[in-house]
Amino acid sequence: MPSVQGSSVAGRQRGLPAVIPTPQPLGAALLGRLRRDAFAFASLLFILALIALCIFGPEAYKELAPRELQQYHTYNFQDFKNINTGPGSVYQDATGTVYHWLGADALGRDTLARLLLGLRVSFLVAAFVQVINIGLGAGLGLLAGTFGGWIDMVVSRIADMLFAFPGLLLAILVSAIFGPGAQAAAGDVGRLLLVSAALALVSWPLMARYVRSQTLTLKERDFVLAARSMGVGEGGLMFYHLLPNVAGLIITAATLDIASVILNEAVLSLLGLGVQSPTSSLGLMITLAIPYLRNNAFQVFVPAATLTLLVLAFSFLGDGLRDALDPNSR
Amino acid sequence: MLPIITKRLTSLVFVLFSLTFITFMVGHLAPGDPIQFMLGGRYDPARYQQLRHSYGLDQPLFLQYWSYVTGLLHGDLGKSFQFAGRPVVEILAPGIAVSLQLGVAALIVSTLVGVPAGVAAALNHNRLSDRAIMFVMLALFSIPSFVLIPILRALNFMLYDRGLPSLPVAQWGTPEQAVLPVFVLAAASAGYVARLTRSSMLEVLSQDYIRTAYSKGLPARIVNVRHALRNALLPVVTVLGPSTAFLVTGAFVVETIFSIPGVGYISVQSIGQRDYPVIQATTLLLGFAVVLTNLVTDLLYSVLDPRIRVA
Repeated sequence: MPSVQGSSVAGRQRGLPAVIPTPQPLGAALLGRLRRDAFAFASLLFILALIALCIFGPEAYKELAPRELQQYHTYNFQDFKNINTGPGSVYQDATGTVYHWLGADALGRDTLARLLLGLRVSFLVAAFVQVINIGLGAGLGLLAGTFGGWIDMVVSRIADMLFAFPGLLLAILVSAIFGPGAQAAAGDVGRLLLVSAALALVSWPLMARYVRSQTLTLKERDFVLAARSMGVGEGGLMFYHLLPNVAGLIITAATLDIASVILNEAVLSLLGLGVQSPTSSLGLMITLAIPYLRNNAFQVFVPAATLTLLVLAFSFLGDGLRDALDPNSR
Repeated sequence: MLPIITKRLTSLVFVLFSLTFITFMVGHLAPGDPIQFMLGGRYDPARYQQLRHSYGLDQPLFLQYWSYVTGLLHGDLGKSFQFAGRPVVEILAPGIAVSLQLGVAALIVSTLVGVPAGVAAALNHNRLSDRAIMFVMLALFSIPSFVLIPILRALNFMLYDRGLPSLPVAQWGTPEQAVLPVFVLAAASAGYVARLTRSSMLEVLSQDYIRTAYSKGLPARIVNVRHALRNALLPVVTVLGPSTAFLVTGAFVVETIFSIPGVGYISVQSIGQRDYPVIQATTLLLGFAVVLTNLVTDLLYSVLDPRIRVA
């Protein structure tokens, strides 16, 4: 895939003059090209803003309420005066006034607080899954592609076995069977880790397959032959020559995978397999609000719109990265 | 043809082995002792041993796997924990018929919507109508079903409020009850089919024989239908496999939200009751369905397109 980029990176690393001059390091060049793609760059900014929001948002939102009423801006406090309300509903008592910016759900819990926590859950799951996906999927794919032989055999067979399960089935099976145990052992964190592991089980075989086939193609290239002739061993070849050249593919595949992971996490929540109430997640918010659609459609559309935008942003960013890394694909 | 069938059947055996093996191992590793769970407060060592024996849990692991697989071959999917001793087949059987109706209906609808949309878009390549059709199809493809469902239901409520006919949003059986779930389930694969049909049609339209057909003086309608569409539809057949996979995951969501008593719904109910054998059986059943569809698709494709057989 990264044809032009490939030779220049390999050239620079060995201190040789680059075949095609690349004045900037790969990251800066990538950002430069990404900036020209309006959709992708906007998505990147949007995602960064949401990440900042999910890190600082819940506490900041709490601070925005009067000191005595801060609990009204938390995800699990029930305000019985505001059951199923729309945006801007008010709670008032002797100590002060507090606004539910996006209203409250059927149990009187503040929607914005729950949305911010739900975003946090989505990003955490996405991050965990990508750690496993890149560590296990890309790592094994690279090993299989570089060394071949029995490693390739074992990795490919295991990936094939997991491919036998269509879509989310395996994740549903695993989180259904181990979910209650994980919840009992480590609470919400246990659930979160289990959901991530279950989703990673679906993601990594594809990543391994991508990286393996890309590595196999790269191994036929001249720069690998050149490195070999300079006495670079297989391990060095893998880390210093092949890895930098598949890095772009790994980043692109991981970004696109995040879109489906966020969606799949919501599906698991919907089936009652994700994090459990009172903790919030985007999928859970939709499920809990659907029965009240008629009275308060707003409570469904806030998480649904957030989820859709999040998924679209990661898809656009992934597509943008793919184009930025490979100008020929356009 | 024969070598292809042999090759496909060999890989089928491997895939089926993977499905059963992983499902079995996940069930085996499940935390907690199902028999103890079943007995609850009425624990009695003799009864415990008897039940353990009756569920075959006192045998070595590989023997358990063997009897699991031979059981499957005899149509025995194990016994439910929730309804002690009741075979899983008995619990799932009514759901299979329902899910099959839902799935087949969605498959037909997605083809009937997707193929004409794709053809129309390709024939109007790069015009406004092409853009519009592809935008709608992309939206159908990428809007998650549980976002689409509230939108449709809200629209439905609006119809109801204006005194117009509205659709039922739960249960299964009458044609009206099928409209919304089938639409939601078909949406994603309709978008997928449309995109594939469009690109396949565009490729065929740029071929030399299309120009030849025009230069013979054939009218555009005949060229488009007889020469282009016929050939363009070939790759669309392959969509059957991925579509079925979409439908399977979609079925869990759609059946749960619309309370349709299909396999997905039964499975989600069993998740709540920790009825592992039912969950395992659902996974296997749906996995088999997809694997078999993939096999049929591949064979169908090599029958329809003889060039594939050489490769």
